Amino acid sequence: MSFVSVEQLQKTYSGTPVFSDINFTISKGEFVTLLGPSGCGKSTLLRCIAGLTPVDQGKILLDGQDIVPLNPQKRGIGMVFQSYALFPNMTVEQNVAFGLRMQKVKADDSHKRVAEVLQLVELNDFAKRYPHQLSGGQCQRVALARSLVTRPRLLLLDEPLSALDARIRKHLREQIRQIQRELGLTTIFVTHDQEEALTMSDRIFLMNKGRIVQSGNAENLYASPVDVFAAGFIGNYNLLDAETASRLLQRPVTSRIAIRPETLGLSLQGEPDTLIHNHSLLGNVIRYRVEVRGVELVVDVLNRSPADLYPDGQRVALSIDTSTLCEVA
Amino acid sequence: MSRAEAGTASVYHRSVVYLLFIILLLPLLGTFVYSIASSWSATVLPSGFTFKWYLQLWSDPRFLTAFGHSLLICVGALVLSVVLILPLLFVVHYHFPKLDALMNILILLPFAVPPVVSSVGLLQLYGSGPMAMVGTPWILIGCYFTVALPFMYRAITNNLQAINLHDLMDAAQLLGASTWQAAFLVVLPNLRKGLLVALLLSFSFLFGEFVFANILVGTRYETLQVFLNNMRNSSGHFTSALVISYFLFVLVLTWVATFLNKDKSQ
Repeated sequence: MSFVSVEQLQKTYSGTPVFSDINFTISKGEFVTLLGPSGCGKSTLLRCIAGLTPVDQGKILLDGQDIVPLNPQKRGIGMVFQSYALFPNMTVEQNVAFGLRMQKVKADDSHKRVAEVLQLVELNDFAKRYPHQLSGGQCQRVALARSLVTRPRLLLLDEPLSALDARIRKHLREQIRQIQRELGLTTIFVTHDQEEALTMSDRIFLMNKGRIVQSGNAENLYASPVDVFAAGFIGNYNLLDAETASRLLQRPVTSRIAIRPETLGLSLQGEPDTLIHNHSLLGNVIRYRVEVRGVELVVDVLNRSPADLYPDGQRVALSIDTSTLCEVA
Repeated sequence: MSRAEAGTASVYHRSVVYLLFIILLLPLLGTFVYSIASSWSATVLPSGFTFKWYLQLWSDPRFLTAFGHSLLICVGALVLSVVLILPLLFVVHYHFPKLDALMNILILLPFAVPPVVSSVGLLQLYGSGPMAMVGTPWILIGCYFTVALPFMYRAITNNLQAINLHDLMDAAQLLGASTWQAAFLVVLPNLRKGLLVALLLSFSFLFGEFVFANILVGTRYETLQVFLNNMRNSSGHFTSALVISYFLFVLVLTWVATFLNKDKSQ
């Protein structure tokens, strides 16, 4: 039994469709990510679910109830924004308590719940501070606490990590996931960052031009992209058309092929038909740009020791693991 | 930068600031000294000091009435502008952001048309007919509203753009606040600073307004500046006392308002 179910959802904005024919279901406690490039409609879809943007057609069922006719106040949905959207005139405590104040929760009860949720995001020492006295990461944790305190049925996260620097982002992403698991909270997360999507989600909906292109868990999405867009958006696939692929594999190929750079191997044994153009060090991985039989490829090799590095201009042998080749539409 | 250089720079910076202060304060200081001088005509220094001009001024019923009139008209115009402009700004920025461009042109009009010109037009329009308001304080309140509009609109717009209006409204609504609650509890408190700046600026400007007051209403509802103008032939000491009183009033008002508005969080 699905907890959230979106059926035939459609939205046009002054004549141009933002998204159409959106269908998906989410089970209770699931962490789902809408992943896609900017302008693909993912944020609008999230705002439609929140009720901040009206939809043209379709149903959004939350716990069996169609919430499309309800205004955002009545939906029981919490949301965290990229810009934090904290109220600058209120302290952390007052910000978090705002939702309870609107629900007319009694003061001592509200006080207890605010303290609990601030504990959860590890900000109880900052209760009396104002938002402008906090760092970006702390602000976003306050925003998270504020949306959790009303015990929403569904939590929406609209690129909450995009405004933060890399270290904080990694830490906060683990913290969000941990809290979400602890509370068993059904969550929809929007991002354009494939790494965030792959590391955090139970399931990913990959969106492009207002459609869900592919859905599945991280492994599935990463290992078998359904089309050129999916292969181009996730990972660093080498995308080859049929003709180039035939030349590379030296056998007739009829469709486009996507090859993950880490499934290719370079070695000094075998026929040295591959020329190393250049390389870049990504840390744990060395990314080579090579050419073989007139085909340019990207090859990722684990960076074991500097001694194994192939200098630019060297000729080496390329091994292709044909079982990981992926035909894409 | 070495210490010596820092020293010279600091001397330079200081002297510029002090020079500016002197230029601004010297006329006021002169007026003040004149207002407490018993007589000061053929000598370098006043022949004696007295507060009699102030006593005379503050016991003059005509002055007190004019002061009250000015206060009433300014407050009236400002209340009108707050009541009208705040919702207007909110609607423009929340629902029709495109109208902002139009508003920016509209608010230039009070500056583009000189008061002498527009008051002639206003005299024609409101001198007779169904809306004969010339000579009553109402026309001044309405007229001052248009004068205050640019100050109010600009200051509050800057303030609105500094806060993320849409996200704040969205967040408040998702937390269960109605549009009204969100506007009053979340947006309005964050506009306090801009609003206060706008009010102070408009108030001190309107309190000293002369052209509209003199042409549209004149002595029929005498305001402070019109009174000052009518007193120009009386003792210079007396009018100096008036100017200083007027200046101190605006100063104290500004100071109190700034004090009350001091942010607890900073």
